[in-house]
Amino acid sequence: MPNNGNYLTAAYIVAAVILVGYTIVLWRGSRK
Amino acid sequence: MTTDALAIDRIIRRGRVITLAGLVGVAAIYVLSLSYTPAEAMQGLAFKILYVHAPAAWAMETAFVLVGVVGLLYFWLQDARLDIFAEASASVGMVFGAVLLLTGPIWGRTIWGAWWAWDPRLTFTLLLYLLFAGYFALRSALRDPVERARFGAVIGVMGMVLVPFIHLTVYLFRSQHPMPVLGRPPCPPDAPNCAPSLPWVLLRPLLLGFLVFTVLYLGFVTIRYGIGLRRAAEEARNAE
Repeated sequence: MPNNGNYLTAAYIVAAVILVGYTIVLWRGSRK
Repeated sequence: MTTDALAIDRIIRRGRVITLAGLVGVAAIYVLSLSYTPAEAMQGLAFKILYVHAPAAWAMETAFVLVGVVGLLYFWLQDARLDIFAEASASVGMVFGAVLLLTGPIWGRTIWGAWWAWDPRLTFTLLLYLLFAGYFALRSALRDPVERARFGAVIGVMGMVLVPFIHLTVYLFRSQHPMPVLGRPPCPPDAPNCAPSLPWVLLRPLLLGFLVFTVLYLGFVTIRYGIGLRRAAEEARNAE
């Protein structure tokens, strides 16, 4: 079995940063 | 028809609640995937990239198909709110597309040994993404809202047509992209490799992923739609 946990960590961090980042953008954009 | 400020606030508030539920769901996918799901025998831990990659593909494709569907409705009903929703859905689709197109190469690097391959599935997905980048470029170049909505709807319909084709690329072409584990066409009972392709313990986080990314799409698109409605109301006020 390949030892590739670092790739998994990188992918999960990338996904979390994009999703949380977009949430923040929307939150700020929807403030009056 | 105008939507008053209170109704817009309500839409945004609803979107925020759904989005927060979606983010909690993403955390749940991570916990389930990292703590309660074993590594796959051939691919190791990198297999678990599937749990965000495939749901992101689903959310992006849903978002872009809805841009097309709403575009067709716009031609029929000519309601500006449909265009506002289409823009919101396209914008959310770009975000899920970014997750898809960034997590895919990370998986490819460790399993294929290459960040990118000009495989039909990858190439057409990139083309779809660039088509919607063009959608926003075109919209920002047009000042007349009716023209913007009409041209946007045309591109939206073109994008929608591409989506089922992208799903079928792995069957139509010699593709190195893995075959789908869900939603594949039926195959003859004696065909090899036709049994359920994932055991329940590996399938569980994927199913949760599809549910969570659907919720997240709904949350994002609701807030973005509310923002669009507010902007349209402001534009209308300024024009008076």
